[in-house]
Amino acid sequence: MKRERQETVEAAETEDEKGKARMDADDGGVDELLAALGYKIRSTEMADVAQKLEQLEMAMGSSVAANDDALLSHLASDAVHYNPSDVSTWVDTILSEFNAPSLPLPPPPLSPAPLQHHFNLPPDGTEQNSTITTVDVPSGPRCPADAYHLEPLHAPAVAGRIVYGSDTQYEVSLSSRDRKRMKLCSSPPSSSSTTDAATSPAVLPVVVVDTQESGIRLVHALMACAEAVQQDNLKAADALVKQITVLATSQGGAMRKVAGYFAEALARRIYRPQPARNLSRSTLDFPAFDDMLHQHFYESCPNLKFAHFTANQAILEAFAGCRRVHVVDFGMREGLQWPALLQALALRPGGPPSFRLTGIGPPQPDHSDALQEVGWKLAQFADTIRVDFRYRGFVAASLADLEPYMLLGPVASDRDGEEEPEAVAVNSVFELHRLLARQGALEKVLGTIRAMRPRIVTVVEQEANHNGETFLERFTEALHYYSTMFDSLEGGVSAAPDAAGGGGRRDQAMSEVYLGRQICNVVACEGADRTERHEALAQWRVRMGRAGFEPVPIGSNAFKQASMLLALFAGGDGYRVEEKDGSLTLGWHTRPLITTSAWRIASAAC
Amino acid sequence: MKRRSIDGKEEKKNKRPRSAEVAAPEEAVSAAELGEDLLLEVLKRADARTLGRAACVSRGWRRLAEDERLWEAVCTRDWVKVPCGKQQLRAVVLALGGFRRLHSLYILPFLAPSAALPSPMTGRPHPQQRWGKDEVQLSLSLLSIGFFEKMIPNNNRGGRGGA
Repeated sequence: MKRERQETVEAAETEDEKGKARMDADDGGVDELLAALGYKIRSTEMADVAQKLEQLEMAMGSSVAANDDALLSHLASDAVHYNPSDVSTWVDTILSEFNAPSLPLPPPPLSPAPLQHHFNLPPDGTEQNSTITTVDVPSGPRCPADAYHLEPLHAPAVAGRIVYGSDTQYEVSLSSRDRKRMKLCSSPPSSSSTTDAATSPAVLPVVVVDTQESGIRLVHALMACAEAVQQDNLKAADALVKQITVLATSQGGAMRKVAGYFAEALARRIYRPQPARNLSRSTLDFPAFDDMLHQHFYESCPNLKFAHFTANQAILEAFAGCRRVHVVDFGMREGLQWPALLQALALRPGGPPSFRLTGIGPPQPDHSDALQEVGWKLAQFADTIRVDFRYRGFVAASLADLEPYMLLGPVASDRDGEEEPEAVAVNSVFELHRLLARQGALEKVLGTIRAMRPRIVTVVEQEANHNGETFLERFTEALHYYSTMFDSLEGGVSAAPDAAGGGGRRDQAMSEVYLGRQICNVVACEGADRTERHEALAQWRVRMGRAGFEPVPIGSNAFKQASMLLALFAGGDGYRVEEKDGSLTLGWHTRPLITTSAWRIASAAC
Repeated sequence: MKRRSIDGKEEKKNKRPRSAEVAAPEEAVSAAELGEDLLLEVLKRADARTLGRAACVSRGWRRLAEDERLWEAVCTRDWVKVPCGKQQLRAVVLALGGFRRLHSLYILPFLAPSAALPSPMTGRPHPQQRWGKDEVQLSLSLLSIGFFEKMIPNNNRGGRGGA
């Protein structure tokens, strides 16, 4: 325990020294940064002033319980303070108002830099005591979660205080006290600079809030919280969640949103250890709502389009020369993948084959027949381009409920006289990973697929491992993955011709909700409820190999189409298509996002 | 309402005598100057941008310039190989919205930025990029998706679905 403390203290100290060095570099007299804000403090006095401000804060903190209004109103109205810009003397005068003796600050373990004061809370003051005991939660190996509490925070000052203790009451009251203190100290033009300036001497190295640094802190907080959750240290986790929420506000854009979703998911996990049945299926969860989100996600980023185009290309090639084709779609939704395939088949030299589509979808609580509606729409489309089209919809709560006879079924027997058997393609876009939630489900489904003797099986999955053994593993992976996803969404109101500006933003917002639900599932659910069990391609290869499938390389035309597609999206520069061992991966900068792979039954096993 | 862009006027100045310009509102006169067939022949060799401007000259010109055959020529001109028989292509594309739509929504955005600028600005005619079958396939796919998304299925659910 001591060691950890010292480590963090050392870390803080080096930061502090760096900060000091930085400041000494300013002209030897008044500190420039603060001067810009209207405060005159000599660099040499900095440490001193910081100490005094610290004392001031202690004093005010501890005396509040007794005579809050009296003292403060006295300070506000009766006491006369001159020249607040000369912070040093001004603080002195205020301190003298307090009759309390200057608080004995226990000697810090190392150098007397004011930073140390953050974790050497004076033993007096009852609230502070309770704080210390809570922090010292004894838990096996000294976990970083606790050590984290002790690190000094440079983030917006109020947040720095809230860290300690899981006593909500205390936190709330403290923040209001801080706010009052801020008001008293106000003299410079704007309130925001007040916040910075009033507390910055106590937080030496930075005057301007460093978003990057607080971003790093945010990530640390998230990780610490996850670790606390893993160790069942719910009190610490709870405190950290609150801290995350505050830190998140100092961020902008993608990071803030991601942090928000993760914080929410963590909170759910903490407060509801037995998740309500189907946590991912909340009140808002009609499959129709899900489909709507899916639609917006389709528009807002190239991921789904990439998936569809690459899978279609593989299917198209596999169907070359066949006169009767049958596609089984494991996740029918709005059927957006199929118009392009139908069109490509219609323009085949030699004309289109006769096309059969089997669509599988989840049950609808409101008994509307979404599957059939999609089928009708596709039939109409096919009719427009003169492709012979038949459709069959299957409602299944889980893919594992399917049996081969259902899919090959009666229609095959209708055509007993036909000389040419159907060429079958099975398509799964983000559906297989759900099966991992139940033991044996995936094996069953792969067996069903095999029984259909498909020419090709196209699988699109997220390229991430969110199915690790431990919660912390999954959390870390998910954090990185979804940060990248949100980043990629930020860039891209689609430049596609049909997207209007406002629509683009709405698409983005809906997509974030869509991803947020996934995040919630990965983080807050367990067991059969945790359906977002993404695994990386390497793992899928193993599974498919075990089930008797061998990979089919996806050709360069898919690659070319995918590359061209990305140019349409505003964030087009960030997106990359990569080919690896015959499978195509869409990535954002260096991070892979989704992978399309194609399979057929291994010839040896035939 | 007269639709006359300044560009169009300048472009067409060479092609029409001044008197025709003055008489532009009276379509019969300007069209009769060249004859529709001849005009069509001329426009067949025009590039997309010219066609677009031609459509701004007058109602008559617009009717001509928006002819699908012209846009079919514009689209397929730069394709290395038309993916299938012309008739086949024509049937499908027309059903899905037409070549003009295909070009403006799903070909134009892909063209190199320099190609989107009018030739006079760069001072020299630049070669259009040739499109291979993958690029063509992508544009056609996007056209079909666009069509599908805008489709309003007519609600005659006669009997069972499928088959």
